[in-house]
Amino acid sequence: MDIQEQRHGAVTVLRPQGPIVQADADQFKAAAMDVLGRSMGRFVVDASAVPYLDSPGLEALIGLTDELGASGRVLRLAGATDTVREVMDLTGLSDRFEHFQDVTTAVRSFL
Amino acid sequence: MSEEKPIAAAPSTPRRPRAWGLAHGESTVALAGLAVAALVVAVLAGASWWTLRTHRATVGHARQNEVGVVGRLVAVSAEALLADDEVTSARRLVSDAAANYGLHRCRIVLGEDTIIADAEPGNITMTVLPETWPLPKGEATGDVVIDAGVATMRVPIQVRGKGEATLEIEAPVAQPAWADWEVQAGIGAIGAFAFAGLLVVYRVMRTRWRGLGAVGDALRSEAQGRATTGSLALSETFGAEAKAWNTLVEERDTLRAKVALRAASEQLGDRGGQGGSLASACDALWQGLIVLDAAARVIYANGAASVLVRAKRDDMIGQPLASFLNDPKVTDAIAQVAAGKTRQRASSELERVSDSGERSVLRVSVRPMRREDSAAAIVVIEDVTQQRVADESRNAFVAQATHELRTPLTNIGLYVELYADEGEKDPLVRSKCINVIGTEARRLERIVSDMLSVSEIEAGALKLRGGEVRLDALFEELEADYRAQATEKGMTLTFDLPPKLPVMNADRDKLMLAMHNLVGNALKYTPAGGSVTVKAEADAANLTLAVQDTGFGIKEEELELVFDKFYRAKDKRVGEITGSGIGLALARQVIRLHGGDITLRSQLDKGSTFTMTVPLTPAGAKKAA
Repeated sequence: MDIQEQRHGAVTVLRPQGPIVQADADQFKAAAMDVLGRSMGRFVVDASAVPYLDSPGLEALIGLTDELGASGRVLRLAGATDTVREVMDLTGLSDRFEHFQDVTTAVRSFL
Repeated sequence: MSEEKPIAAAPSTPRRPRAWGLAHGESTVALAGLAVAALVVAVLAGASWWTLRTHRATVGHARQNEVGVVGRLVAVSAEALLADDEVTSARRLVSDAAANYGLHRCRIVLGEDTIIADAEPGNITMTVLPETWPLPKGEATGDVVIDAGVATMRVPIQVRGKGEATLEIEAPVAQPAWADWEVQAGIGAIGAFAFAGLLVVYRVMRTRWRGLGAVGDALRSEAQGRATTGSLALSETFGAEAKAWNTLVEERDTLRAKVALRAASEQLGDRGGQGGSLASACDALWQGLIVLDAAARVIYANGAASVLVRAKRDDMIGQPLASFLNDPKVTDAIAQVAAGKTRQRASSELERVSDSGERSVLRVSVRPMRREDSAAAIVVIEDVTQQRVADESRNAFVAQATHELRTPLTNIGLYVELYADEGEKDPLVRSKCINVIGTEARRLERIVSDMLSVSEIEAGALKLRGGEVRLDALFEELEADYRAQATEKGMTLTFDLPPKLPVMNADRDKLMLAMHNLVGNALKYTPAGGSVTVKAEADAANLTLAVQDTGFGIKEEELELVFDKFYRAKDKRVGEITGSGIGLALARQVIRLHGGDITLRSQLDKGSTFTMTVPLTPAGAKKAA
C-alpha cells in the first residue's frame, strides 16, 4: 500500500492510496501512529483515495481516533468516499470521526 | 495539606543549622555513640567491681581455711604437750605458728584469763602449769569467724587430768594491695582497647549512621509537625539509606497529592452534581490542563497536557513542572502566581522542537487557584502552531504581494509619464510605452491571478472543474508554448512522451497551470546552452511527469522550502531573475487537489528534477466538480 505524507503548514496529512484491508491496515496504522506521535495530534487522514475498507481497516481507524481521544481530539477524515462513509454509517462508527469535504477544510479546522 | 510555602522551581535538600557543632544527621549518631560509650564504661566498671569482690572473697576464704587448719593443728599438738607438762614446747609451738602463718595473736589461756603460752612472751601471766584451773569464760567452738578484716578462732584444748584450756588465734585477712592494682590496670587496658575499637568502628560506620540519623531527624520533625513540603528530603551523599528514604518520601508526597486531587475532584464533582466525571471531562479537552501544588509539582494532568509536553501522565505526577516545560517565562509566571503576587492570568508562548525536528508553538497560561483548594496554580496549554504558521504565511503574503505589485506599477507609472511627455511627438517612444505598459499589465494580471489562486486554495474556495483531458494535445500545446523560448535561449528542450497517452479526468486549466510552472521554471533557471527534458509516463492509475533540467540546482536544505509561498532560493543567480515565488506553491497545491503530489530531486550546479504524479481519475476532482 502506498501512503503519502504531506505537510500543510503545521498539519501532517496522510494519504493512503488504495483499500485499507487486511495487512494493509496494519501498515497504515503503523505509519499513522508514527505521524501522530510526531505531529502532536495535528494530523489529517486524506481518505479520498481509499475506495473501501474492511474490519481491520475500520479497527485501524478506531485505534487512531482512540489514541487521539486520550488527548481530547478525534481523527479528522477528509474526502471520504461514499463507500467508506456508508461502511461507517452501517457500523455506527461514523460519529467517532470528524468528517471534512476535503483536506484544505480539514487543515483549516486546526486554526 | 501541609502549610503552604512559596513555590520553588524544584525541591532541594534543606540546610539546617548545626546543633552543638554537629552536622545534619550526626546528632543521632553522636547520641548513639555516647550511649554505647556509657554502656561500655558501665560494663567495665561492673566487671571491675565484680572481679575485685570475687577476688577478695576468694582470698578471705583461703585465709579462713588456713587459719582453721593451723588452729586445729596447734590445738592438737598443744593438748598433747600440756598433758605431758611440756609447757616450754607448747610456748615454742605457739610462737612458731604465729611467726609462720602471720598470726597477730596466738596463745593458750587457762580458765578465764590466765595465759600459759603466747606468741608475745611478755603477755604470759603463769610460767608453770597448775594442777587445776577454772573453766574458761565463753564458748570455744573451733569455728573461724571473720570480722572487719580479722579472722578469729577459739579452739578448746582438753588437758588430760587437769582441765580445759582455750587456744585463741587472731589473723589479718587483708589481701595484698598489688592484686587490686593488677586487676584494675588490666580492666583499664581492656577499656582503653574497647574505646579505641569503638572509635574505629564509629569512624567506619559514620557515613551510614549519618544517613540513618538524618532519617531519624526527619521522622522526629514529622512527628513534631515541623516537617514542610520538601524538607523531608535528604542529601543523597548520606548513602543508600538516604536515597531509599527520598524515594519513600516522594512516593508519600505523590500519594498525598493524588488523595488531595481525588478529594478536590469529588468536591467539585459534587458541586456540579456530576459525580466522578470531572476527570473524564478534563480528558475530553484538547487544551492541556495541569494542576500544580504549592511546590510547583504536578498533581493532575489531563491527556492533552501529556501529549503537548511529550511526557507520560504517570511520570508527570509529583514532578516539578519545570521538568517538562523548562521555560523561564513560565517558571517565573508560576512563581508569581503561587506567591500570591498576582491574581491575574499570565500567558506566554514558547516554541519547542521535537527530536524529529517537529516545530510546535505552545501558548501557556498560568492562573491562580482559590486558596481553599489544595492546588496553587492551574496551567492551560494550547497548541497554536497552525495559527502561528498561518500568521507567518499571511504576513509573508502581504509583504511579498506589496513588493511584487510595486515593480510593474512603478514601470507603468513611469511609462505613462513618458508617454504624456514625449509620446505625442515621437511614434517610437509611444510604441515602446504602449508595449511596456501592456507587458507590465499582463504581468500584473498574472501575479494577481496567482495570488487569487493561492488565496482561494487557502480559503478552501478553489474548485476544480473536472473533465476529460487529452494528454497528447496538452503536451503539444505545452511544447508549442516553450519551444520558441528554448530556441531563443539556445537550449535543448526535449519532450520524451510515450506513443499513446490516455485521456484523464482533471481540471485542464489547473493541470496546465502546474505544468507551465514546472517547464517555465526549468527554462528560466537553466543557463543558455543547457537542456530541459520533459518525460511523461502513464500507467493504469497515474500520470507521472518528470521535468529534468541542467540548471542552477537547489541546495538540499531548500528542497522543501521552494514549495513555500513566496520563497525564493538564496542562490544569487536566482535572485537576479524576476520571479514571484508563488509558482511552485501553486503548482503543488493544484496537483494535491487532484490527489497527487510534486516532489523534487536536485543537486547544486548540476540541475533539478521535478516529478509530478497525479491520478488519472482523482476522487477529489470528481467531488469538487
